[in-house]
Amino acid sequence: MPSSVELIQSLINGVGIGLVYGLVAIGFSVIYNASGIVNFAQGVFVMLGGMFAHTLLTTLGIPIWLSAIVSTIAVAGVGILVQILIITPMWVRKAPLFAIILATLAIQLLIEQIIIITLGDQPRTFPSFTPGGPLKIGEIALGYQLFWILGCGALMVYALTQFFNRTRMGRALRACSQNAEAAALLGIPVNRMLMLSFALSAALGAVAGILITPTQYTAYSVGGPFGINGFIAAIIGGFGSAPAALIGGIVLGVVQSGAIVFFGAGFKNVVALTVLLIVLLFFPNGLFGGLAKKA
Amino acid sequence: MTSPAITSTRPTIKFDRISVILWIGAAVLFAGVFAYGGYLITVMQLAMIYGVFCIGLNFFMGYTGQASFGQNAFAAIGGYGTAILCVQYNMEPVLALVTSMVVAGVAALVVGYPTLRLRGHYLAMATFALGLITYDISVQWTSLTQGYMGYAGIPPLGIGSYTIEDERMKLVCLTVLALIGLWISQRLRNSRFGRALRAISGSEPGAAALGIKISRYKLIAFVIAALYASASGSLFAHTVGFISPEVFGLHMVVVTFTMLYVGGVGTIAGPLVGAIVASLLPEIVRSTGRFQDVAYAAILLLMLIFAPKGLYAVGDLFRSRKVDKPETRA
Repeated sequence: MPSSVELIQSLINGVGIGLVYGLVAIGFSVIYNASGIVNFAQGVFVMLGGMFAHTLLTTLGIPIWLSAIVSTIAVAGVGILVQILIITPMWVRKAPLFAIILATLAIQLLIEQIIIITLGDQPRTFPSFTPGGPLKIGEIALGYQLFWILGCGALMVYALTQFFNRTRMGRALRACSQNAEAAALLGIPVNRMLMLSFALSAALGAVAGILITPTQYTAYSVGGPFGINGFIAAIIGGFGSAPAALIGGIVLGVVQSGAIVFFGAGFKNVVALTVLLIVLLFFPNGLFGGLAKKA
Repeated sequence: MTSPAITSTRPTIKFDRISVILWIGAAVLFAGVFAYGGYLITVMQLAMIYGVFCIGLNFFMGYTGQASFGQNAFAAIGGYGTAILCVQYNMEPVLALVTSMVVAGVAALVVGYPTLRLRGHYLAMATFALGLITYDISVQWTSLTQGYMGYAGIPPLGIGSYTIEDERMKLVCLTVLALIGLWISQRLRNSRFGRALRAISGSEPGAAALGIKISRYKLIAFVIAALYASASGSLFAHTVGFISPEVFGLHMVVVTFTMLYVGGVGTIAGPLVGAIVASLLPEIVRSTGRFQDVAYAAILLLMLIFAPKGLYAVGDLFRSRKVDKPETRA
């Protein structure tokens, strides 16, 4: 039986990684709500965020805050490219949704391979945003990066909620998600909204990648696991609002960390996925699926 | 995402010009592979094995219009069932194959009953979770599966003392099995049962109004897909002689999806066409050296963009359109 300190410590770490899953999950929901597409290349944006920031930071010597901003914008640009070059042509040709989803998997493979060729396949990391730490509360250690993740996560969710509820553009995006044809008739440029949703979710993924890299590492291959876990988080949250996706991510992160403590690292996914299946059996539309419709 | 499949009103495989060209092309390809021999034979063997898997998946995803990302779980049951029964208990290969299929079918029945209540992405995710759980179990339950080490020395397919050792004979045997699978698929597609599946794919409320028991038909389609998947897992074990968890991992999901959509989901021969094309493609781009994965992904994307309904559907463009097919957006 693990000690209580060990348990609390791992649960806190679980919240940290869970917030990152939550950000990825929000990215999934943004594109899904705008188009019905599940973008499996979502994890690649996380990877690109970490890789770009690392490259800017170490090879060009740009300070971390500037690297973070520049790489987020760059990844959003990649998202727009993906939408223009691949998603729209398929959309126009009325491809089946699953063919588009398969295309996003191919995009993941393509981008990963381009990264191997251009930046190499070695894992890398960069230091925490603020030096020093960890903060000690009794025997529990809290790395400073955890506070960055918490703060940025909360800020992003607040900003997104405001964006979707208060701005014209955010409302237009929501209108597209409810009925694309009616939105088009009201003069909303649906295709540009789809582009916006790709840019937005790519940027979200990049932020997640930049935040998590100091606590772990980044390499060309980290996109897959982040994509899968983010998708699970989005499912738990119910593809609804940003807070729901974030909570879905935290639930997943905490369950995984708990599973590592109790069953060992090998079974973390078995336990997490079993929890997911049980959740789905009792809440077939996700934990907040019912709530999101009303909001 | 509960998408209507691309269903055509064509009753059977017609022997019009396009089909004849397709069959001749396939025959030439096989003749070439036979003459050339070597590694290409192995590639085509795997294409046939994956083809069997995809034909089964097509029942669930193509005809019925449901999503399953977890059929690799049943392929794992087939593969490990065969490996354990043949290596540990010296069972006859054919008997082991059938036994594993029964196990996989029962497992699909038990798992599918609660899971298939879900729809769309939730169903996709739940089945995906099943596949991932099976993978982790096959890694962790070392006393049963030998973990990452996998099973080696699985005997080749055969009956009694007669075993198929020759690589060319193996390919012939697998091709015949795949064609039998295709034949069953075609017969079932146009049966009362197959038409019911396609009605569900078109509209669930509509199908229910016609008196189709939706959950039962979905479950049967799921079990059929699992039987095909299990058979392909067993065939893999017998053909290659070695299995490990990686064989039935995430890679299998992606590869089989690629095959299904490249070939044309919901069509009869599409899965097999896709399996052959998607297996040969990496060999064709191999000459580009370290750019081979980039080339592979780029070609795959181009195929998806320009033939979004699959290569098999491209043939329809050249056919004279006697029947106006309703365009269904999936």
